Amino acid sequence: MMANWAVAPVVIPLITALVALVLGPPTRLRRWIVGFSAALQLMLALAFVFSTYGAEAVVLALGGWMAPFGIVLVVDHLAAIMLSLGALTGLATLLFGYAEIPVGREHPLRLPLVQFLAVGINLSFTTGDLFNLFVAFEVMLISSYALLTLEADDWDIKQAFPYFALNLVGSSFFLAAAGLAYSIFGTLNFAEIALRSTQMVGDERITVLALILMLVFALKAGLFPLYYWLPNSYPILPSPVAALYAGMLTKVGVYVLLRVFGQVLPPSLDMIHVLLGWMAAATMLLGVLGAVSRNFTRGILSWHILSQIGYMVLGIGLFTQWSLTAAIFYVIHHIIVKATLFMVGGTIVVLNRTDDLAKTGGLWVATPVLGVVFLLQALSLAGIPPLSGFWGKYLIIVEGVKQGAWIWVAVALMAGILTLFSMLKIWNGAFWNDAEGQTKVRTQDGRWRPMTAVCVGMTVVSLMIGLGAEVVLKSASEAARQLTDREAYISTVLQSNPRGVE
Amino acid sequence: MIWETALLVGLLFGFGTWMVLQGSFVRILFGFILLSNAANLLVLAMSSNPAGKSAPIVGGPGGPLVDPLPQALILTAIVIGFGVIAYLVLLLYRIFLDQRTTHARELFEGTQSASESSVGEEQR
Repeated sequence: MMANWAVAPVVIPLITALVALVLGPPTRLRRWIVGFSAALQLMLALAFVFSTYGAEAVVLALGGWMAPFGIVLVVDHLAAIMLSLGALTGLATLLFGYAEIPVGREHPLRLPLVQFLAVGINLSFTTGDLFNLFVAFEVMLISSYALLTLEADDWDIKQAFPYFALNLVGSSFFLAAAGLAYSIFGTLNFAEIALRSTQMVGDERITVLALILMLVFALKAGLFPLYYWLPNSYPILPSPVAALYAGMLTKVGVYVLLRVFGQVLPPSLDMIHVLLGWMAAATMLLGVLGAVSRNFTRGILSWHILSQIGYMVLGIGLFTQWSLTAAIFYVIHHIIVKATLFMVGGTIVVLNRTDDLAKTGGLWVATPVLGVVFLLQALSLAGIPPLSGFWGKYLIIVEGVKQGAWIWVAVALMAGILTLFSMLKIWNGAFWNDAEGQTKVRTQDGRWRPMTAVCVGMTVVSLMIGLGAEVVLKSASEAARQLTDREAYISTVLQSNPRGVE
Repeated sequence: MIWETALLVGLLFGFGTWMVLQGSFVRILFGFILLSNAANLLVLAMSSNPAGKSAPIVGGPGGPLVDPLPQALILTAIVIGFGVIAYLVLLLYRIFLDQRTTHARELFEGTQSASESSVGEEQR
């Protein structure tokens, strides 16, 4: 019966979104229902994390149609980890949004759209089928387009255009790639593709397909030449939604890169792994340089997303089981830290009424708790031990040194130092220096207290990842083991009985 | 048949890309429509040469059948593409209303990027 639960991470947010739509204008009741649903999603995802550790993946053949022919949902340990991270970020940003905006001023469509976004994200994590992945991406992207423009003002709206246009091109290529995959392998099921591709070693068509897929997923993840859409569009979002985007959306791209290159396509595509490594190195460096050049909090943080994506993809580019473990660990660390930093940024806007670093200031005196939260997360992002970011960077760099990839290692270390530098820029501008001119710290606006509380909660999670790194690392290495164990995946998916129907 | 289709797909992708790279909103819009149809046609072509095959209908004429799966796939893709294009039309219209221009280049002229103007005073 466990198999049937695999559909729940998709269905629960879908029902929640529809209920929220039907309930109409924002009320307290609606907030409670959506909040309860988000908590339920988190508990369910955590249950999957525990039940898939050291066990075979949960496979659900939808409608009882057997694996290579019907659509399957597969929840293995990696998918379960991603589901729980998504649910945690979803819950935290939801509560943060509740704290930031009074019920009456909330846009009536925000909560339903966020839940539709969760449907797309969760379906991307659980799907075991390439075309279904395309559909999941579209569900996610259409919700994200709508959320991006929902509350944007007249001036910012144009920034939605590059985001939309580039993702639309990506979708066309993805569709084409799905068609090509069907003609090459005669199937779209991940397990069946993995099975057949092992018998087609040296087929150049697989390389071409892998290149197109890499282009599509690199675009979603925000890798080097394809990241222009990200740093200008994220700052136009309201801060709770921006925190959700920053935490989850690009990481869906990273997850899919992990899934497709780690498990589905044959491991012999060395050329593409090296290419991914170089793109990752360029992303790390250029992302952090972009961050150094910005002068407002969310702009700096948006560029940092890119830089950090570089580390994760470098883990994929090195392509050993250990480096995939490092990449998964980095994803776990990054989602929590990045979402928290965006929420801190949102709190700064509430307190200072702006996030222009030339005008903000005085927050260390007014709200030391927020200062500590920011400092812990910023140092974690830069990779100071024993915070969670240190372990992620350490694992990847050790693997890079082992393989003698000196340039990548050097770039990774340099990006770390520049990260610290740009984080200090925010620290000086917003916390340490006094506010300039008209800007006052508005602590009488009581919203910052619950907002800070949410940030503190997320920081505790992040500290637990850093201090309990051994547990998280075990989980990540189990996920990587399941990912690279193709035979087990293929046999679990293809020989699964349609357990949903007896 | 498959060669003509391949040529058409190539033409559609090429012309669509060229249109998307133009500045005018209308051309960009039609460029995206071409791109999405190029991808649809490519997927359709993956059911291989239909010559001499019949449609997969119960009680049909029998004999070799066309692979129905790509048709089912593009049915989904067409619906998604339609929704996305409808959104694009509205987005471009709203940008036109807000910024008084129908040219992508003018859109980002003057301001280097929105990142330069930080999130200003909150209106709330």
